[in-house]
Amino acid sequence: MASSAFVLWRALAHGHLLPGTVPFVRCARAVPVLALCVVACRAASPRRDAVSADDFGEPVARGSAATPSRIVSLMPATTELLFAIGAGPRVVGRTPWDLWSDSARRVADVGVGLRPNIEAVLARRPDLVLLYATGENRAAAQALRAAGVAVIALRIDRVEDFRRAARLIGMATGDSARAAAVVDSVDRTLARVRSRTAGLPRPTVFWHVWDAPIITIARGSFLDELLTIAGGRNIYEDLSQPSPQVSLEDIVRRDPDVILAGPDGAARIRASATWRSVRAVREGHVLVVDTSLIGHPSVRMGEAATVLAHLLHPAVVQ
Amino acid sequence: MKRPIFWVLAVAMLAVLMILGVSWGTVPLTPRAVLAALAGHGDRNAIEIVRALRLPRVALAALVGAGLGVSGAALQGSLRNALAEPYLLGVSGGAAVGAVIGVALGFSSAIALPLFAFAGAAAAIATAILIARAAGGRADPRVLLMAGVIIGAFANAAIMVVLSGAPANTMRSALWWMMGSAAAADWPQVAWLAGYTVLAGGALLWFSRDIDILALGEESATALGVDAERAGRRVFLVSSLLAAATVAAAGLVGFVGLVVPHLVRAAGIRRHRALLPGAALAGASLVVLADLVARVAHPPAELPLGAVTALVGVPFFLVQLRRLS
Repeated sequence: MASSAFVLWRALAHGHLLPGTVPFVRCARAVPVLALCVVACRAASPRRDAVSADDFGEPVARGSAATPSRIVSLMPATTELLFAIGAGPRVVGRTPWDLWSDSARRVADVGVGLRPNIEAVLARRPDLVLLYATGENRAAAQALRAAGVAVIALRIDRVEDFRRAARLIGMATGDSARAAAVVDSVDRTLARVRSRTAGLPRPTVFWHVWDAPIITIARGSFLDELLTIAGGRNIYEDLSQPSPQVSLEDIVRRDPDVILAGPDGAARIRASATWRSVRAVREGHVLVVDTSLIGHPSVRMGEAATVLAHLLHPAVVQ
Repeated sequence: MKRPIFWVLAVAMLAVLMILGVSWGTVPLTPRAVLAALAGHGDRNAIEIVRALRLPRVALAALVGAGLGVSGAALQGSLRNALAEPYLLGVSGGAAVGAVIGVALGFSSAIALPLFAFAGAAAAIATAILIARAAGGRADPRVLLMAGVIIGAFANAAIMVVLSGAPANTMRSALWWMMGSAAAADWPQVAWLAGYTVLAGGALLWFSRDIDILALGEESATALGVDAERAGRRVFLVSSLLAAATVAAAGLVGFVGLVVPHLVRAAGIRRHRALLPGAALAGASLVVLADLVARVAHPPAELPLGAVTALVGVPFFLVQLRRLS
């Protein structure tokens, strides 16, 4: 029992946290290997420009030749993006977590996006599949390509990853102009929030993702960027992973001014005896964030940053 | 090893480890700061760290270790099997199924989860006893052992099925809990686990002569006028419930119930009236040490306690094995 749990634990430690959103405790050893692989792939085909390769180093075909008409999107970030650029009617499959917008809910659910069920995906007869670029999905990408389906694997963790993903997907679906417009609109909103909070005092923030074990947001995640834009300072901005595990004792030491949590997490923190060790909890500074809005590095990041800025600076940002 | 030396060493070791456990952690504090915090002076955050986080945590780890040590010693003796331990006998499997069902139903709070775990463990224990009874009603420890193992295997399968469709965070919670952790320790939890440990440990100590006789074998027990079946069942029930209480408090902390009784027996202590308290002290030391390692090995993250008990415990066990051979 214990040993099988440990194997699962290891698998999970290298796996997803919120599917399609805040992934990965990166495996330190895998990074140089991956980098080598990317270098090798690039060296083998020097003419490919960086924009037209996906995050597995595979080429992405331009949509003008054969515009995909049936797309399966296996992460919330790309599903939101497809609907935003007007490719929504062509989406024929999604994961159980892709719940925005309302029209996305009506798309067939093909199951999880990590180690996806290939049969369920192929049953939707897709000509393009979008999935998260992780070692766990490499086999799935190969199997889908072998079945003659185009695959774009994307690792969307940071705001910049979103911009790049939007360009690639726009190119592949033949909606480049609208993709560029969506990126522009997100960037403009982010810039507006940033200028509104510039010069304000920056409260230190602990971002509560999960409590057993305690998981937070660090520099590797777009949420850390949104927090900075919204005029806060993440107490774990020094850690490079997207979503590291931390200890309560260390949170007490870093002494945040504010705690951000989802509705359930906030209720649990307020009811807990041990969390009262944190000053922000004793002083009642536990703020609730809408986790369905602020979960995915996608088209609603501008809105998310606005909401965060309003939470942290209610008097200044409406 | 002479008996008195063992007791002095065991108590001293536990005391030293508990002091270390309170003064050392993710956040470096000077001994003076720790003392001041204990007295309630100085930096507010240091006071919170020492008094609200470290003290209950060390206390909980000690109780978990003591409970598992006693439970393992009683089971190994009464079932006459060196591999018998609470987790092998289905307690962990049942508790894990209970907890996972709780999590899947949306009860992931620190209050509800232990109740589900305890209910699951109790159900597994009852099933094991019923199976053993249905298998002929004879007091055969091998049947009880087999029933436990089979329930454990069934539970493992049930967990895999339930978790296969769970969202990643739920799964991570369930696994974190299956690896054991004292991170969520608070005083109410320490108080009720202390209650269980004293009650169940006291009861097992009360049965210690029965366990001695059971360890000799069924025939000797009958010859000495002990109803082996009844006595065996009683010990099984109480020690399993004690293990279930530790599981409810800190999740699954493996290895302690298996190895600690062997360590204490290797020190020359065989009679259960001495073996049980000895296993309590040694088990407490092992888990307090393991929890300390779990906290400081890789800050600010914490390692799963159940994995660290094995990492810390195996070297002790190997030394003892060499000494025996």
